[in-house]
Amino acid sequence: MGLTSESDAKEAMKLCMFDLRRGQTEGQELDKILFFYPADLPITNQLSVIGLSEGLITFTRIFSPDAPCEVIEAEKHCHVFYEVEADIWMVMVVEKENPESIWRVDALRSVLKEIHSLFVMFHGYIRALVDKEPSGGLVRSHLYYFIMDFLSDFSIGKKLQLPNFRDSLKEQGTLQMLTVGREAAIEVQSLVTLLESCVGNKQCYSMTMFQDLLVSTNLSPIDTLNLFTYAVLRLTPIALFRGASAWSSLRKTDTACSTYAGALQVTSISAIDQYYNSHDPPSLRRHNYPLVRPLQHSKWSKGKDGFLTTDIWGTEVNSLLPMCPTIWLHLTEEKMFLLAYQHRGLTVILLVPVSSVSGDQGISMLKQQIIENASLKMLKVEEKLSRGWGGENAYHVSGYRYLLVDGDRYVSRASPPGKVTTLTKESLVALSKLREEVDLEKARAKWDNSGREKDIEICIRAKNNSWLIARLVRGKELYMVLEKGSETLLFAADATEKFSERYCNGAFSLD
Amino acid sequence: MGSPRRMSARRCNGGRWHGRPATTAPLPCSQATGVSAPLRPNAGQRGKIGGGPWAPLAIRDASAGGNWSGRLYTVVLQHERTRPLCTAELLQCWNSVMATCLSTDLTGLTIRQTVPLATTHAESHIVLRLPLVCQGPLRDTLFVLVAAGFAIAPSSFAFYSWGGSLSNIKRPCPQDKKNLGSVLSIRYSLDLKHLAIQRSSHEIQFCNKETGDIFSQKCRSESESILGFFWTDCPTCDIFFVKTSGLELYTYGTESRNLQLVQTKKLSISWYIYTHESRLVLLASGIQCKSFTDFQLSYAGMISLPKFEMAMAKSEANSKPILAAEDVHIITVYGRIYCLQFDRIARLLNSYRFYRDAVVQQGSLPVYSDRIAVSVVDNVLLVHQAEAKVVIVYDIYADSQEQISAPLPLFLRGYSKANVAFSQTAGKTSGASEPRNLSDTKETTYGDQWKFLVPDLVLDVSNGSLWKISLDLEGISASSSEVQLILEFLQRRKLEAEKAKQLSLAIVRTIILERKQIHMVARAMDVLLAAYSQAINSGSYNKRSRTEEISSSNTLNASVDESITGIDVSRSINQKPESVPGNDSHNRSVMATSDLKTLVPANNQLNSTAPQRNQSLLTSSAATSPADFYSHVFSPIEEEMTGDGSYLTAITIEFLRSCSLEKLKVYPNTYALLVQILARDERYAELGLFIMNKIIEPSKEVAVQLLDSGRQNQQIRKLGLDILRQLSLHHDYVLLLVQDGYYLQALRYARKNKVKTVMPSLFLEAAYISKDPQHIAAVLRFFSDFIPALRAVPTTTHIITLLLSTLFFFRNRLLSSFVYDWLSTCG
Repeated sequence: MGLTSESDAKEAMKLCMFDLRRGQTEGQELDKILFFYPADLPITNQLSVIGLSEGLITFTRIFSPDAPCEVIEAEKHCHVFYEVEADIWMVMVVEKENPESIWRVDALRSVLKEIHSLFVMFHGYIRALVDKEPSGGLVRSHLYYFIMDFLSDFSIGKKLQLPNFRDSLKEQGTLQMLTVGREAAIEVQSLVTLLESCVGNKQCYSMTMFQDLLVSTNLSPIDTLNLFTYAVLRLTPIALFRGASAWSSLRKTDTACSTYAGALQVTSISAIDQYYNSHDPPSLRRHNYPLVRPLQHSKWSKGKDGFLTTDIWGTEVNSLLPMCPTIWLHLTEEKMFLLAYQHRGLTVILLVPVSSVSGDQGISMLKQQIIENASLKMLKVEEKLSRGWGGENAYHVSGYRYLLVDGDRYVSRASPPGKVTTLTKESLVALSKLREEVDLEKARAKWDNSGREKDIEICIRAKNNSWLIARLVRGKELYMVLEKGSETLLFAADATEKFSERYCNGAFSLD
Repeated sequence: MGSPRRMSARRCNGGRWHGRPATTAPLPCSQATGVSAPLRPNAGQRGKIGGGPWAPLAIRDASAGGNWSGRLYTVVLQHERTRPLCTAELLQCWNSVMATCLSTDLTGLTIRQTVPLATTHAESHIVLRLPLVCQGPLRDTLFVLVAAGFAIAPSSFAFYSWGGSLSNIKRPCPQDKKNLGSVLSIRYSLDLKHLAIQRSSHEIQFCNKETGDIFSQKCRSESESILGFFWTDCPTCDIFFVKTSGLELYTYGTESRNLQLVQTKKLSISWYIYTHESRLVLLASGIQCKSFTDFQLSYAGMISLPKFEMAMAKSEANSKPILAAEDVHIITVYGRIYCLQFDRIARLLNSYRFYRDAVVQQGSLPVYSDRIAVSVVDNVLLVHQAEAKVVIVYDIYADSQEQISAPLPLFLRGYSKANVAFSQTAGKTSGASEPRNLSDTKETTYGDQWKFLVPDLVLDVSNGSLWKISLDLEGISASSSEVQLILEFLQRRKLEAEKAKQLSLAIVRTIILERKQIHMVARAMDVLLAAYSQAINSGSYNKRSRTEEISSSNTLNASVDESITGIDVSRSINQKPESVPGNDSHNRSVMATSDLKTLVPANNQLNSTAPQRNQSLLTSSAATSPADFYSHVFSPIEEEMTGDGSYLTAITIEFLRSCSLEKLKVYPNTYALLVQILARDERYAELGLFIMNKIIEPSKEVAVQLLDSGRQNQQIRKLGLDILRQLSLHHDYVLLLVQDGYYLQALRYARKNKVKTVMPSLFLEAAYISKDPQHIAAVLRFFSDFIPALRAVPTTTHIITLLLSTLFFFRNRLLSSFVYDWLSTCG
């Protein structure tokens, strides 16, 4: 019936979060567990997963106190560790038996990272929640609904589809940006200024998106990333469309150039809700916490005034008006109201400090002001952007399947997913392995801490005669798959050079 | 000195047309071909003397002696200092001016100087500058030739000039003196060769100044009388008479001995008005004198314009008010010709615009006085409300008839009492004369005796002074809070373009410093940049130096003359000066050496000023370029507003938006400044975005600033490096790569792009610091392979030392053998 039907025998993936500072006395081990998926796994099994993880962490800490354990590669399983906050760990256990189960550890870990950073954005730090209510009920219920909602995005049918080798030309946890002309960029910036002036003297932030690509922002990189991820999941026109038509928001199509038609999988949203009802852990039922489920599906809709509305954050006590959503900023730990205005492809998200606006009345006044002063300009900007927008295959480069990552700014650009699917499985598996190697190399360079990035250049001829290329130059990464290429290395080098000159301003040209 | 200046002076005034309706073609002003506009001291001399506040000088030619030749020339000189020029300097200046312009030797001179009052009065916006004080035996008649910039008093033959020197007018010859008799008006011909003197209502006498020939033209019948006459540059005729019976056009006959009638327009004329600037003559007829027949006598010949009637309000049902000539004014603003009619009963100033095939009423301006006067200064219409003693300023552009600022009184500037006092002090023999002040001489504005001369002169008959009206741009801009309007107004100013430009920039600077709302600042910048873009497109900005001559003299290149009779100016000399001690900073009489000044009789004093021009910068347009914005707005405010980076960033973005809208190139330092502001506020993510989106266009300045700011942030430094690479600034790029420790990449880059300017020792040193023998070997290998002539490099000894120390340090066998090999090949 739900995600974890009993008839499926075993869930292919386990995900848990535990706090090493809790339950340190015999018999209190259950207290450690903050979250476990699947929730209906027998407690003993849950405890054994956590016990193993804890044991490994403790053991490896002896040798490497700063970075204890990252991954366990067993014959049939792979445990991915991630310390989200001090002494709070997330562990993901994935199976390896399935032919599709070829994982890249960094990609899996980035899922864990994403869960945590989004959670923090909405609910604040886990440690703070734990401290707020030592019994753990508050944090557990928050985590439970949040992560379940999050995972529902990965569900295909009855199974969870985590990023595997097929996603190796994709970088989790990066922004996808729209390339805009100078004139349009200035126009957007001018709009941002105008919006800020609507808010008044208080410091506010904004993020402008077109379709699900980022155009401009003045947020810090981490906040940008979190908000961008959330917007792509729930706020962009495509996400709204998905929500409205109750289609599954399949992660696979969540990339820059999404195809509506690609999301044809039948929904499992209702299934999840059912699951909640029947599987709510007894511990959660006992408390009646005001729950906010920001990742809940089909909750956002576009209002008549162009602003996106949701009742996720509840409604006002004496009116039916929904409360304005709030999020936490990462760096300043400031609570901000989130206002999202949408006009066709353009989504403008405005973050206003809660402290500066007097309740919902202030918000509605602010909205009014924005509509009065800025809506015309937004119309103009949208027009300008959509004129310059090349469609979902705008960033396709014929002959190349590529992934470009700018690690400094958390920005990536890749071949459109529709084009990546034309690659053979062999190429993708090989690329996944190559990337795994590069990840290792990068991590090693980081530990060496020589103070500068390592430049790497790898060209591999795979078994199926495709060229796999990885180039890391001063913080920028380029991965490419060239099928149907000639067999000389010179060809591969030339192809990379050409690509670099034409599309990366020569950033990857070495000589 | 003659030809280029004269050419520029003959440039036509027409050609700028605004707001042309689709159906009716506007009536252009005629081209001023053949007009010798008053000449000015040549540009070279002005340049030498320098910029800054102007200081008019009056000079008296004392050498000739005698009343009639007591000419006064005025030349505008400038000096940068606030202190008055010393006598020696003045003499030096004058010597050069006189020698080039007048071929006059300076045997006897009296020089006095007036330093303009530096005070600005915010409560006024129209200033009457530096009165021309006539103190001489001018008892009855003064003929003012506005266009030529001089005045003649025929009875005494005193000759006044304020428009500059008159190089092509010879001294009035003695025989002129004999001709004195009954004179109604005098007009010099446009080439200044002929003099026409109206002796009576039936007779006009002509005098050829070169040959001395004199002849008279009389009316044929006694019934008609001459209302007036004008010289014209119309190709078909030289002069036209306005008679009660109609208009008569004449040309000069053979050998200039007589006039030949060319054309006659028969109609009954009550009165007429004419301005040479518009070349338009309006002939009033009918009982109420409100039916008008109008002709334009332009370079294209005589054009007959549609007849029209002016509307007049009636006080009573049966009354028929008669329109008087002084109630109708022809004005020329922005190259468009209007006629203003003062309706005394309705208290309205109706305006009519002339088109080639229509005369269209444009609307009415309110009038608050029974007595009004109209002047035009720098295309700005001034309506003087004489009884209320205020003036209202209108900028009739694009059919907007809004007044620029609240009505304010006139301010008399530079009315130096010492001017009057000069006649007395000149007689003394003491060295430096005390500045005198006439406390009992009160210049009252809008006295009954004020005569307004078209376009911008006021003659105060009672005090015998001639005023030139000028706009106090500072005052106007200070009195208005409508930033956008005032900037548009300033941008249209031609006469004091440099001042208008500085004021415009100052206004923008001020509103930014006052942290006005961004959209307001943005609009202000839009106005200025749009004006700049227009100036560039029309070419007026680039041709600054050339166009200065014509555009600054809008009022002068189309000569308009007026004759005023019966002015008694003798009163002024009878007033005794009173000495005011200490009042010497602004009004000071600087006397020449004592042996010179005694030679001059103290009459016919004339202290006047030439129309103000921008001498130093030769700017004809008030347009502000993006570079001006950087140097006058962004750069100064950046230091004052260090704490408000986000506001400044927003302003800069708006500026960039304005520039891109007008397709103007942004001065690179503006970008560098933006980088600096963003980096200071640690807004690195936005900075990266701006660079990536090319909002900040790549340039070397930006790269340098990025590298400088990048000392705190490695990513910003990388952006700077990327720009260097994109701009192919290979040398700097390679150096920075080496500096960052990427010397192998630097080597490869250097080889690819053939960078030969970077010293090999730099690479070796970098490799040496890395303490990696493989790297050192690689670097050495590179140089021995690709730069065979390394020995020729002057740093070789240094390299060898380096290598030896390397050897010593590593004791690596492979490396040692390599180095030994290499050293041996080097010898």
